[in-house]
Amino acid sequence: MSTHRLSSDIFHRAEAAGAELPPLLVAAERVAATVSQGVHGRRRVGPGETFWQYRRYQHGDPMQRIDWRMSARSRHVFVRQTEWEAAQSVWLWRDASPSMDYCSRACWPRKSDRANLLLLALASLLARGGEHVALVGDDRGPAPGRTALKRLTAVLMRRAQSMDSVPPPVALPRFASLVIIGDLLTPLDQVAAMVGRFVAQGVRGHLLQVLDPAEETLPFSGRVRFVGTEGEGEAVIGRVERVRPAYAAAMAAHRAGLNRIARAGGWTFAQHHTSRPAQSALLALYLALSAQS
Amino acid sequence: MISLGPLSFAVPLALAGLLALPALWWLLRAIPPRPRQLRFPPLRLLAGLASSEQSVERTPPWLLVLRLVLATALILGVAQPLWNAGKPLPGSGPLVLIVDDGWAAGADWPARQTVMADLVDRADREGRRIILVSTAPAPGLAEPPPPRLLTASEARDRIAALAPHPWETRRDVAIAALRALPALESMPPGTVVWLSDGLRGGEDGTVAGLVRSLRALGPVRLVLPDPGAAAKVLRVSAVSGETLKVNVAQAGAGTLDAVVQAVDENGRIVARALAVSSDGDAGSPAAELILPAELRNRVARVELASGRTAGSVVLLDARWQRRPVGIAASPGIGAELPLLSPSYYLERALEAGSEVRRGEVAALLDRDLSILIVPDDGITDGISDPGLHRRIDQWVRDGGILLRFAGPGLAMRGNRDDELLPVPLRAGERIHGGAMAWREPARLAPFPAAGPFAGLNLPPDVAIFRQVLAEPALAGPASVWAELDDGTPLVTSRGHAQGRLVLFHVSADPDWSSLPLSGLFVEMLDRIIDLGRGGTGVAGDGPPLAPIRTLDGFGDLGPAPPSARAIPASLFAESAAGSQHPPGLYGSRDRRQALNLPDTLPDPKAIEALPRGVEVAGYAPVPEIDFRPWLLGLALTLIVIDLAASLALRGLLPVGRRSRMPRTAGSVVLVFAVATAAPAWAQQAIADGTAVPEALVTSLAYVDTGNAERDAISRRGLAGLTAIVNRRTAVELGEPVRIDLATDELIFYPFIYWPLSADATMPSDAALRRLRAYMASGGTVLVDTGAGRRGDTPAADLRHLARALDLPPLAPVPEDHVLGRAYYLLSAFPGRFAGGQVWVERSGDRLHDGVSGIVAGGNDWASAWALDANLRPMFAVVPGGERQREMAYRFGVNLVMYVLTGNYKADQVHLPAILERLGR
Repeated sequence: MSTHRLSSDIFHRAEAAGAELPPLLVAAERVAATVSQGVHGRRRVGPGETFWQYRRYQHGDPMQRIDWRMSARSRHVFVRQTEWEAAQSVWLWRDASPSMDYCSRACWPRKSDRANLLLLALASLLARGGEHVALVGDDRGPAPGRTALKRLTAVLMRRAQSMDSVPPPVALPRFASLVIIGDLLTPLDQVAAMVGRFVAQGVRGHLLQVLDPAEETLPFSGRVRFVGTEGEGEAVIGRVERVRPAYAAAMAAHRAGLNRIARAGGWTFAQHHTSRPAQSALLALYLALSAQS
Repeated sequence: MISLGPLSFAVPLALAGLLALPALWWLLRAIPPRPRQLRFPPLRLLAGLASSEQSVERTPPWLLVLRLVLATALILGVAQPLWNAGKPLPGSGPLVLIVDDGWAAGADWPARQTVMADLVDRADREGRRIILVSTAPAPGLAEPPPPRLLTASEARDRIAALAPHPWETRRDVAIAALRALPALESMPPGTVVWLSDGLRGGEDGTVAGLVRSLRALGPVRLVLPDPGAAAKVLRVSAVSGETLKVNVAQAGAGTLDAVVQAVDENGRIVARALAVSSDGDAGSPAAELILPAELRNRVARVELASGRTAGSVVLLDARWQRRPVGIAASPGIGAELPLLSPSYYLERALEAGSEVRRGEVAALLDRDLSILIVPDDGITDGISDPGLHRRIDQWVRDGGILLRFAGPGLAMRGNRDDELLPVPLRAGERIHGGAMAWREPARLAPFPAAGPFAGLNLPPDVAIFRQVLAEPALAGPASVWAELDDGTPLVTSRGHAQGRLVLFHVSADPDWSSLPLSGLFVEMLDRIIDLGRGGTGVAGDGPPLAPIRTLDGFGDLGPAPPSARAIPASLFAESAAGSQHPPGLYGSRDRRQALNLPDTLPDPKAIEALPRGVEVAGYAPVPEIDFRPWLLGLALTLIVIDLAASLALRGLLPVGRRSRMPRTAGSVVLVFAVATAAPAWAQQAIADGTAVPEALVTSLAYVDTGNAERDAISRRGLAGLTAIVNRRTAVELGEPVRIDLATDELIFYPFIYWPLSADATMPSDAALRRLRAYMASGGTVLVDTGAGRRGDTPAADLRHLARALDLPPLAPVPEDHVLGRAYYLLSAFPGRFAGGQVWVERSGDRLHDGVSGIVAGGNDWASAWALDANLRPMFAVVPGGERQREMAYRFGVNLVMYVLTGNYKADQVHLPAILERLGR
């Protein structure tokens, strides 16, 4: 009962966040194998229901295509071609590991909440655009429309924490789009391996790093015992304020590494802080998905 | 138990814990608090940095100090420090307890008994014997009771039975007896505590010397009362006219603020006055008790209202009272024709304020008498008999006043053989008016300022038809007290040894003049009676004066103790109050003489400088302060703070949200502040929202005159009237309200009582304007000058007030006025004084339902209505009687009904006509 209310709540919030962007159109060239019928005209000839153009009959065209009425008006035989209407399937994944369950101030959302919100907002946008969305690791394949969105919400809410900090090695269809939302604090080699595997499958992807501001700035001072969230152990630091520059450098190096990995695979990388509004991250994702067209 | 000055520790062993403090210091420094613990996802990024910054952490200094203070507070708290805990008595011998139980101890005797009981308890704990020495002579004896060695329980019984005596102490005798006590010889020195009355002794030796002689018995502690609480001596210094002058003497030069009161036989306060002196005032402050003639005879004693001792009570006997007046009359004369008898008019004029006796001169002189009035009844004036003449002459020489009136007999005899006249008289009388005379009856000239009649108002209608004339050439030492407008004397007087001869040159009946019919006659006789001296002393050859009632050490009058002895009459004037003759009333039931202690007391003086080494203490109980709860409470608070600090250091408090902390703390503080301040706010709201409660309840109101005493009387008076009205009528009044004419809203009150005595300050014009608006809107003001009969005619300030208030002309209350029938049927409106005229707006003006906007008079109603806390009347009414008070209440009820119901009772005027119509 409470889960249901919670899921409908996050569902509505996600819908609201997505409502502020135009329907997302995902370019779908070179993904013919993975497309199925969708509502968007691709501005080219293809399978669809909307009239696109008449063309002189050529050898090999099926007889059923001949538009007899048009052919009767002139001396040539014409076939009727429709506009290609297709949808792309987009695979989404967010980090559900314990490290996402963190917020440094109560006025900011937890990273996991923000990741869920972004994921659903994106799914909502995509669903309105007619795309098929699916969750990486979910058994069911991509599906269109609001039913898919609701299904997605239910799955997100139901699924407990997992220890995976990167998407599991699943096989995705070629030319699918993959959106990975998480804190991406795992060692760079694991990230590189994961990206390399998906790139090998021909998947285009987007990395969105969601961080708490405290993770960026390390605003603590004095003697602090830091404890990891995923069993990394602990570290006692005598004066946190002293290591702040070094930490900033380490964080910058990590981010540069992520950027490099994404660039190498032709992917994109973006960063989001929970202190910023979700819309900014959504816009970045929108731009990234649009730029692929 | 160990002591450091006034500080002592009940559990001194616990102080050893303080030795552990340095160890605690070291331990705390060595073991730093656990660091804050934080979950942090990007731990891997930090892990590489951690090793470089791992350092040995010390406990922060402030935490160290906090914990050391905590430990110290805990240790001290367990050790239970006590401030002013009783110290053990020095020495090992007996406790010598010297108590001044003379007259000066009465003011704060319970405090002394407490101190004594405390000391005895302590001596009992330490197993000491006790020697109790009281310094005042025992009743009936010349010496204090001999000291004895007592056990604690015996001493307790003795102390409980001790009471102050109403006479002076004999410290020298008591202490000599103590030094001579044989039991002391074999005992080691103990300790001496002297509970003194703070006064330097008279002839019984200086305190310093006595203390020095007590040193041998052990260290001496002298307990003194506070300078302000020392006993005071009250003396009645003079009586003149209506004022009784009283002096209050106290030891030392401190601020004095004593209330002196005159009390009648029944304990009712007749008058009060304040004796005030400030620092450095030389002499003893005086107070003046105002006692109208009618009240003076009732005063039985003058006393201090608080801190009463036998030395601050003066009993007044017949010497202080107005004495009886005798009217000489021949038997049989005038009995059947009272209106033709001069003594009839004299009796009527004198009955208000004096005891009047009537009879033959010889019988009158047998008893105590201050004034003998001899009217001339035309046949004989009763004093022509030579033997009687001599006796009267002797009586006047001893201080009597002979008041004579002219008459046919005197006119016929003239000066012949009569030494008892102030002036030689011409034979015959002078006739001023009548059928056969050309002249108009003579009028009175204004009274000379030097005479006793100065200041009396002259009514215009007093006419003199006949007089006897003095020989102008032989006037001699006589003085003229009153004269006619042609310069001939009307009243002459001459001193005669200690006494005085007074002659009215007219008769005491209305035959010769209309003077006996006027109010002036009463006032003139009053003034002459005031001249009457206090009482005569005791006849030296009378029987011994036995004590009737005597004062105890607290200044209360009670039955005489068996030890009190009678005083021979010849010695009474010189005798002083003492252990054999306690102060009180002596003599017989009808001739009481007062023996007052203050008459023979020296002025009290503070104890002189004391020898070194004498510990001086006060009677005020020194409260023992136990610091244990405070210290343990402090430790508990520090523990909570330490806990919070430790949690904060370990990050278990939400310090990450630092911005929130002050807000939380602030809100906690705010909640506390609101919780504690809320009742105050509520009260504030009620006090400020005057309009609401007053508008809901009908209340009587009185004007704030700024004179606290006057206002208190007004408040009590209206409270008394409110109680009566609520009990007797359907009106339900609330508590009386004090209003300030200048600021308060008047419209809620149907009736405002305004005591406007002669010394009251006139309110501002703005206030008068508000009052005028109040009266114009239908309110009624009761203006009370409190002047009694003297204020029959409106005084000048009342006229000014009437002009300022734009009042319509006032008139005396007509006979059929509604005020006389609104609830009770009344014909007079007495207050504390009876007979004063009451003024209202002239009727006929039908504005406001015929209710007068002002009711003015001088009968001092509030004083008559006022009840004290025990619901007993605060002031005696004049001339007196519960009937007058009842009438005063009835007037108040009528007034309230009048202002609330208007002229509705005026319809009763038509009741006979209505009944007649109904019957028809």
